Amino acid sequence: MGVIGRPHGVRGHVRVTAYTAEPRALADYPLTDQTGRRLQLRWVSGDVAEISELTADGARKINDRDAAARLTNTELFAPRSALPPAEEDEFYLADLMGMSAFDAAQKPLGTVSNIHDYGAGTSLEISRDAAAPVIVPFTRQAVPHIDLAARSIIVALPGEIIVENTGDAA
Amino acid sequence: MARSVWKGPFVDGYMLAKAETSRASGRNEIIKIWSRRSTILPQFVGLTFGVYNGKKFLPVQVSENMVGHKFGEFSPTRTFTGHSADKKAKRG
Repeated sequence: MGVIGRPHGVRGHVRVTAYTAEPRALADYPLTDQTGRRLQLRWVSGDVAEISELTADGARKINDRDAAARLTNTELFAPRSALPPAEEDEFYLADLMGMSAFDAAQKPLGTVSNIHDYGAGTSLEISRDAAAPVIVPFTRQAVPHIDLAARSIIVALPGEIIVENTGDAA
Repeated sequence: MARSVWKGPFVDGYMLAKAETSRASGRNEIIKIWSRRSTILPQFVGLTFGVYNGKKFLPVQVSENMVGHKFGEFSPTRTFTGHSADKKAKRG
């Protein structure tokens, strides 16, 4: 969900890079580090935050620069269950990644290896073992069925119209 | 300097014919193009183009808001394969 960066000042504040869609929302998630240590984050200003370690005794605030420096490069995680439920026809990229893709005849196509979205609709890249990856638009026509429980999708590969570049201009 | 208005928007000519063919067929097709320099025209709205970025043909679903832009703008040649965390995708 994010990464703790370098210390900021002498009061134990740190810079934090948030990978959430809304950076400020990072503080709303129950965060842990790689070792499972529970951390709490409170934004101070901009990308500067105050970190507290949650223990059975309560919250222990990181309040000196040396302790903050030891947190540098700590990755922050949140459990999947902490994410709000997606709306209809909306899917978390984390759920789509790694799904098995099958064609309409249930023949295996490959695995969803990347998701592209550059402002012109989302598309799924499906990597195949013995062939070049195929990229399909993430639409109802091209991906008619998604089974989150089975982690599989049905793909109707769209036809292709290949246009050779003849250099004509209008 | 901006392009002169009297010339009209630039678009590689063959694309107009192919767009018409695709629209007439009414099928779920991707029009593979290399012409990143062509302007997106109103008659392309609703079609899906596969725009080459030097390596892959990235699907570009043309919507009304994209009219006037170039195809290449929606198929970046440098890809950020970054972190997504809680990012969601809506099926179109």
